[in-house]
Amino acid sequence: MSMPLPEQQAQMSIPLLLKTLLADGESPSMTRVLKISVGVLVISLAIVFFALLTQGHAAFNTNSYGITWGLPISTYVFLVLTSTGLTFIASLSMLFGFEEFYPVAKRCVWLAVVTLVAGFTVLALELGHPFRMLWAVPLGMQYVSPMFWMGVFYTLYLVLLLAKFWRINAGDWDSPLSRALGIASFVSVVIAHSTLGLLFGMMAMRPMWYDAMLPVYFLITAALSGAAFTVAFTYLSYDIDRKKMAPALREMAFGRALPNVFATLIGITILAAVSRTITGLWSNLDGLQVYAHLVRSPLFQAEFWLGLVLPFFLMLSPTLQRQRKMQVTAAVLVMVSLFIGRLEFLVVGQMLPVFKGSWIPGFIEYTPSFTEWMLVVVAVALTFLLYAAGDKLFRLDEYPGPKGEEMAPQGAGAR
Amino acid sequence: MKWGMVIDLEKCTGCQACSVACGMENNRLPGEHWQDVLFYTEGEYPSAQLKWFPRPCMHCENPSCMHVCPTGATYKTEDGAVLINWDKCIGCKYCMIACPYGVRFYTDEKPLVEPNVKTVFKSDGEHSWSPPWRMPATREDWKRGVGVQPNDVVSKCTFCYHRISKAPKGVADLDPNDPNLRDYTPACVVTCAPGARYFGDLDNPESEVSKLIAKKRGVRLLDHLGNKPQVYYLAGEAGAVPSSRANNKS
Amino acid sequence: MNVLNTLITRRRFLQATGVAGATAAAGAGLDRLSGFPTLAEAKSALAAEEGKTVITKSVCHQCPARCGIDVYTTNGRVHAIYGSLDSPIANGKLCPKGHLGAYILYDPDRFKGPMKRTNPKKGRNEDPKFVPVSWDEALNTVAARLQSLRDKGESHRFAILFGRGWGASDAGLLGTFGKLYGSPNAEINHSSMCSDASKKAKSCLDGNYSYNAYDYANTNYVLNFGASFLEAFRPFNNNMQQWGLMRTKSPKTRVTVVDVHLNTTAAAADRALYVKPGTDGAMALAIAHVMLTEGLWDREFVGDFKDGVNQFKPGLPVDPASFKEKWTLGLIEWWNNEVKDRTPKWAAEITTIPEKEIIAVAREFGTTRPAIALFERGPTTHTNGVYNGMAIHALNALAGSMFAKGGLFYQMGVPYGPLPVKADDYVDDYAKSGDRKKPRIDRVKTEDWPMASNMLQEIARNHLAGKPYQLDTAMFYLTNPTFNSPDPKAWEEALKDIFVIDTSPFPGETAMLADLILPDHTYLERLQCAESYPFQGWPMTTLRVPAVKPLYDTKVFGDVLIEIGKRIKGPMGEYYKALKDTENVIRHLAKGFEKAPGDNGVTGFDTWKDKGVWYKKPYLWQQIRGEFYEWDGKSYNKPMKPEEVKAKLIKTESGKFELKSSYLEHYAAYINKKLGIPEERVGFPQWVAPQYTGGGDLHFVTPKTAMHAEGRSANLPHAIALQQPTVGGNKTVYLEIHPDTARKRGIRNGDKVRIKSPVGGIEAIARYYQGVRPDTVVLPQEHGHWAMGRWAKNRLPTGSTTEVTANVSEPISGLAAYYTGKVTVERA
Repeated sequence: MSMPLPEQQAQMSIPLLLKTLLADGESPSMTRVLKISVGVLVISLAIVFFALLTQGHAAFNTNSYGITWGLPISTYVFLVLTSTGLTFIASLSMLFGFEEFYPVAKRCVWLAVVTLVAGFTVLALELGHPFRMLWAVPLGMQYVSPMFWMGVFYTLYLVLLLAKFWRINAGDWDSPLSRALGIASFVSVVIAHSTLGLLFGMMAMRPMWYDAMLPVYFLITAALSGAAFTVAFTYLSYDIDRKKMAPALREMAFGRALPNVFATLIGITILAAVSRTITGLWSNLDGLQVYAHLVRSPLFQAEFWLGLVLPFFLMLSPTLQRQRKMQVTAAVLVMVSLFIGRLEFLVVGQMLPVFKGSWIPGFIEYTPSFTEWMLVVVAVALTFLLYAAGDKLFRLDEYPGPKGEEMAPQGAGAR
Repeated sequence: MKWGMVIDLEKCTGCQACSVACGMENNRLPGEHWQDVLFYTEGEYPSAQLKWFPRPCMHCENPSCMHVCPTGATYKTEDGAVLINWDKCIGCKYCMIACPYGVRFYTDEKPLVEPNVKTVFKSDGEHSWSPPWRMPATREDWKRGVGVQPNDVVSKCTFCYHRISKAPKGVADLDPNDPNLRDYTPACVVTCAPGARYFGDLDNPESEVSKLIAKKRGVRLLDHLGNKPQVYYLAGEAGAVPSSRANNKS
Repeated sequence: MNVLNTLITRRRFLQATGVAGATAAAGAGLDRLSGFPTLAEAKSALAAEEGKTVITKSVCHQCPARCGIDVYTTNGRVHAIYGSLDSPIANGKLCPKGHLGAYILYDPDRFKGPMKRTNPKKGRNEDPKFVPVSWDEALNTVAARLQSLRDKGESHRFAILFGRGWGASDAGLLGTFGKLYGSPNAEINHSSMCSDASKKAKSCLDGNYSYNAYDYANTNYVLNFGASFLEAFRPFNNNMQQWGLMRTKSPKTRVTVVDVHLNTTAAAADRALYVKPGTDGAMALAIAHVMLTEGLWDREFVGDFKDGVNQFKPGLPVDPASFKEKWTLGLIEWWNNEVKDRTPKWAAEITTIPEKEIIAVAREFGTTRPAIALFERGPTTHTNGVYNGMAIHALNALAGSMFAKGGLFYQMGVPYGPLPVKADDYVDDYAKSGDRKKPRIDRVKTEDWPMASNMLQEIARNHLAGKPYQLDTAMFYLTNPTFNSPDPKAWEEALKDIFVIDTSPFPGETAMLADLILPDHTYLERLQCAESYPFQGWPMTTLRVPAVKPLYDTKVFGDVLIEIGKRIKGPMGEYYKALKDTENVIRHLAKGFEKAPGDNGVTGFDTWKDKGVWYKKPYLWQQIRGEFYEWDGKSYNKPMKPEEVKAKLIKTESGKFELKSSYLEHYAAYINKKLGIPEERVGFPQWVAPQYTGGGDLHFVTPKTAMHAEGRSANLPHAIALQQPTVGGNKTVYLEIHPDTARKRGIRNGDKVRIKSPVGGIEAIARYYQGVRPDTVVLPQEHGHWAMGRWAKNRLPTGSTTEVTANVSEPISGLAAYYTGKVTVERA
């Protein structure tokens, strides 16, 4: 066992850490992921920093005509809602007694931390004054602002999530403290994601977003996002090879529960998307004209049919739903679909000009700039990097035994 | 005391002098139209309509931009102006999302007109640019969003706060034709050639603005949103208050 | 804490100073010479900026209106411009252009001092390679050239071409210069590329070669033919002030606009009628027809049938003896020869305006008093421009609006003091010699253009053809025909072998072909007086007081002229030495105010400087119910004799408003030759079909917009960002095209299109607009520069609108027929 024990980690020196990270050990593929993501992160960050230092945020294609928030913000929303969803998946076993999901719980908690950190990183690079935010938001105490509460609860959520991870990484799955942390982090993320939902949903001047039930919509899609990440990243850790999985995990992967949950979440998402879209198309309210524009876009069609409907049937089909390739395909399609969906939600909600007269005769056009795409690459690379590092440093495949005892997974392979 | 503006659309000629006067007085970038005049066309030849609509910041009584601000950078003054403290603004741009009137600007973006005036009139390091005609440093006030802004903050119409805040206390109206009040009157009001703009105290029932709103049935833009603008329009026969934010009605 | 921010700031700091500064210094070139303070200077200036704000009275330079402005200066830096409350035109207000003066002062593309060309090759793509010279060297160069021309007896080969003249200390000096020097070409105005036809139309009928003053405040109806009243018609700023009044007074002034597209002027009016380009005269004649047949003419001014019974019946002649005319001349002849057949039905065919609308307008105009019919370049920049204008102006006589309250009249002169010296005493034998009687280079007052006052647009081709001769040296002041003359490419050829002196402070197209640059101050640096354009009749003159010391080594044009004059041998040099400089000229002019103190207390130079304007109300004459009265100090009480009316107001040969113009009849043969009108008919306001040039299928009209700052708005980013709001033009100007017209040509909204005529072609972006006639496309002028500054260049359209315009002029006034071209438009 090359894994350092938790007690050792505290005294671990940097060379040892690096050695651990770079050693092929039991998961050579993760080492490859780690190396590639470090490289990509360094390059993309360098590009982003260069652009920001030379051009400032003029390196973005967002504009005061109305596309105020662009790709970086949709990426942030995508990532933090994914984090929310991952916490839901983790909570299935840890809080709600669906023990068959235990094998992915720790992985989900770590991935929730990772996506949240990646999301915050993108947000910080998008903000005009990220460092000023650190004091101005707490000192401002603007309790009327949804964004203030979003900040409060996502910060709280991050702290609780880290604490929870610290507990389960120490093997403490079920102590009162650990349970309390689990409950608290679940509650905080439900509230955090709701404030994010309300951040958009309360905007009466933006009819496409204005929706008191937006937090529920976010909840559903967040759960789906979390499920897709769980499937995709778990398979990634095992080279899409179930034989390398521990028996319980393999059982879960082979089982019907996972595809059924996945299909259910996709189904509800489809329902929500259809309901939102036909409401938008049906209503005459000024501001909802964008839906007609939206449904004409090939991206929307792809996102809906390829990204939701196709995976839905893959996961519903008794013959396909348990095939690993189908599961991975469905997960990846859903991830991409949700990523596009977040961008569409954000941009389409802003593309109708607000009192711009003849300056903008039609809808406001927006194509993300290279720098903005590089920010997405930063986020992706950071997600992979931290995930791979976590995979190497912590035993993400751990789960508690029947009595809350920690089970060392007895993998068919090295694990 | 609640400063407010009245715009008589029947008099407005759509000349944009308000926009230019504002841009020069407040050192705005080309295209950063704190004060804008919006043109709308409808109908078909030979019965096409061309309408226009001057749009400053509405300085709402109940400003949604202020409510969403996570730091309190956007705030309302005692005399009714909605301002931005550039030292507190974190550039999240949520206020731009929340403004129903599209009056806010984040100028760290691709320039409308090339070459970029920001590179021609380069900054001294603190300001985002430095036009040679910028206001004297003593008038600049970043706590109130007055002057050339630093990078990465949101900017908006201040009702020319550096002017109106120096007006004699208790004055009912700032009449640009009065030599003693002219320099305290917002730039757009001072220059408006057809005299379509009025500026005064909405809390004072004796003020010209209050009387005009009463007599000529002043209306507010998107009143159903409840922001309660402090800018009122007199439509008269001009009929130019856009019922819709959308230009493209199809 | 704020690491990223500090990093960014630090980086930009470096950019702002070292790196970019070095590039600017090394890169050099005309555009790059930076006159701005270094960072250190800027910072110390900021710290020191506790100074007091000074308000200087000046005069706006963005259009000819002469609005008085307050220039706000703190520590020598101009930071705001507002209309001056002292100015009766501005009344504290400004149009959009007026605020942009600081931009012009601090324009980074300004010339920083006199320069000479070192690259002998001239052309669009030739860098002139200007090198700085001293003023002395520059002025000596010019003087030596002029002296040598004089020595060779070729002084006529020197010309001064000018655009906007700024009064007696400026373009007002040119006539004398030519007289003393001995050139007929020293005072060639751009007026034939401006609006000479509207002046000419008026002079044909009422003997005043001038624009009008209008009493808008008291009028109840405005019938506007092709004048962009709310965009460009001077004085634009005051027009808008009057608009606010007219539209809210009781009764509200009703407005009908006749134009080819829906501009703000038309949109703000009660009625907009879209006329086929160049046919406005037909509409006006039909209105006259209705006014006469329906008995709506003003009997007190025009006169009446002796028996009081209206005998005007469509198509039927009237016995001249049956009508007794009062202040008009030739009404019945006009009816019999022209108006009787000009029915609304006839006009509807020609103008495409429905008969019903024409009748409705005629009745409104005929029944509303006072009413004004005004017009500008819409009807007049066509080959039939003067006749169009006459037909419209005749309506003012029929409505009895001439010199009436709520009507229109002319501008009084200013009682200036005399100059220190009389030019006539300094004309030497050379200048007096019969050899000096040469035709002008633009051939005005020859058989080519017997009635025109200037033909600047003809000079390039006359020079190229050597007809009547070739120019040797040409000096340009505030005019840039290389960009805005019809067919400007002819100028690019012509200027190749002329020694060109440009006095503009800006690197315009003409400057790029210049041999010598003698840059003027920008207007906020100038001391300059300027008499009012026709405004409200009473005399007014304005003074431009420098708000700041000149930023660069520039010199005001008047002084350049005087300095050149001083360097010419003989009496001419003596004259200019005695004249000293423009300030001395202005001080002498101001002495006139000692005897005629202004209403605002201006009695001389110093008080003039304090107020920026001298004026003396009221206008001295008024026509009341068909009788003329003079102001007696209290009111219009003193009746005027017909001779007095003729001398002071209606200056035709007959002293009457001539509906059969004696002036035109003197040139009957010429008019017959040029327009084919029978000689006996030339005097009547009448329908003459326009001769469209170019052979395309779409009329091409190129108006000004409200943001057209004289020759400069193409290089003012703030102006560019607001240029054409009606169709959203905020970084380029768009070609307004009717959607059906566009679709037939496969042009989509927003496509780049090519606008072509046999003269040339340019490209622009097309924008669908339901407010433009389907047979017409509209593209605002003044954009599409190949020089003129960093913002003006390399922006669409790809060339000046004039590159598509044939150099064809209206034969009577000589006005370039800018809007008479027909083009083809296709996807580029």
